[in-house]
Amino acid sequence: MAKEQFGSPATFIDQLVVPGDVVLDLSNMANQTIKLGGGLRQESDAISVTKAGKFRLSKPNKYWVESSQKRYVPCVGDSILGIVVDSKADNFLVDIKGPALAFLPVLAFEGGTRRNIPKFEAGTLLYVRVVKANPGMNAELSCTDASGKAAEFGPLKDGYMFECSTGLSRTLLSSPPCTVLEALGKKISFEVAVGLNGRVWVNAASPSTVIITANAIMKSESLSVESDLNLCAWMEDICSSCGVMETLKLLLFNLQFGEISFTRILNLWSCVRIEYCSWFSISIFSRTGEI
Amino acid sequence: MEFVSPEGLRLDGRRPTEMRQIRAELGAVAKADGSAVFEMGNTKVVAAVYGPREVQNRSQQLSDQALVRCEYSMANFSTGDRMRKPKGDRRSTEISLVIRQTMEACIMTHLMPRSQIDIFVQVLQADGGTRSACINAASLALADAGIPMRDLVTSCSSGYLNSTPLLDLNYVEDSAGGPDVTVGILPKLDRVTLLQRIS
Repeated sequence: MAKEQFGSPATFIDQLVVPGDVVLDLSNMANQTIKLGGGLRQESDAISVTKAGKFRLSKPNKYWVESSQKRYVPCVGDSILGIVVDSKADNFLVDIKGPALAFLPVLAFEGGTRRNIPKFEAGTLLYVRVVKANPGMNAELSCTDASGKAAEFGPLKDGYMFECSTGLSRTLLSSPPCTVLEALGKKISFEVAVGLNGRVWVNAASPSTVIITANAIMKSESLSVESDLNLCAWMEDICSSCGVMETLKLLLFNLQFGEISFTRILNLWSCVRIEYCSWFSISIFSRTGEI
Repeated sequence: MEFVSPEGLRLDGRRPTEMRQIRAELGAVAKADGSAVFEMGNTKVVAAVYGPREVQNRSQQLSDQALVRCEYSMANFSTGDRMRKPKGDRRSTEISLVIRQTMEACIMTHLMPRSQIDIFVQVLQADGGTRSACINAASLALADAGIPMRDLVTSCSSGYLNSTPLLDLNYVEDSAGGPDVTVGILPKLDRVTLLQRIS
């Protein structure tokens, strides 16, 4: 039974996989070196999945499973947002949404000495980097980059922090730049700090902009497919030429969307046209009843 | 009582080796790290997973593997007669233990030493096969939480009534007094992790 599933790796690439799936069979891949990333394990000749997610291949030979979770597993080099919980003589204790609190040594700051120890109250939000992450030990953080410079690391003042899944924060940091942030950036100006541990901090001149940005980012979780964005752009075009009502009419009576639901399109669009957000939800439901 | 009609149909219209309809939903509990609602016919259970997180009771901490805890309970409204004491009785304790052992077998606990994983399972509607529904729900919730696992455990019950083997018993068939076996398997590894006979 299991034999049939041993396919060539190509069959699983970019597909959803669940724990137990055998994605690679090393016996057909002799004299080839491969690198395994997170979510995969080897048992004799079979490489099987341990986490649910998307199976990825980075040419030529790196394989991993990309998953989205609520809890963060610390990994060396990640930039994350932590909240100071307590301060001890040598360390700050920082909550990083991980399995255990992380340590931030009081000397891990640019030019840090015993004389100038920074003072952080419990609840301070910090943008930090993970420098040590061993299983069974508390992770160690640092407020400097690899060369000892403060770079962008340090406390984040004002603004608003919200939590999301680790998958969304990875999308926000992806290159080419995340389309949501790009679309938002064209309309409004704001500052954003994304932690790979599923925390996002937003700051802007006015509180209303902060709320709009935060909501748009939170809503964009399902927005990743290229075609959705083309659709958004297309709607924008129509909207600019014939107005909002015409676009909505077109949407309602146009069947070219196939399986994408109407509410989904509106959700997508409202990420871009924030000003219509609330108006959409009211008028659409009153006009069409069930969508 | 006749559990299989002469036409070969059961009380709810299923064939002897037919399962009830199943439905699963992930992420039902907003605050949990992973959660799932699992339905098998009229049986409905919700599972929530928290962890891996720091061990609450330091004396239970294991230095080489994660501590897995499980709590099974039945909602007061889950059965026909309202339940007085939804948890803490012998049956709940036993099922908690069964779920814990089954899940421990598939979680790669050695990857998360000195941590704890909590699984909470609650039966919302009981119509037979709660044990297997709970295992399925817990398995999905663990996968949703991103906890490394060897395989997804799947479970189902079966029984023997009117000289016919029946798959996935409902409450009426369950309480008929025939033999009843709950099986849990790791489908991809082709292994049995749970085999329990209740008669």
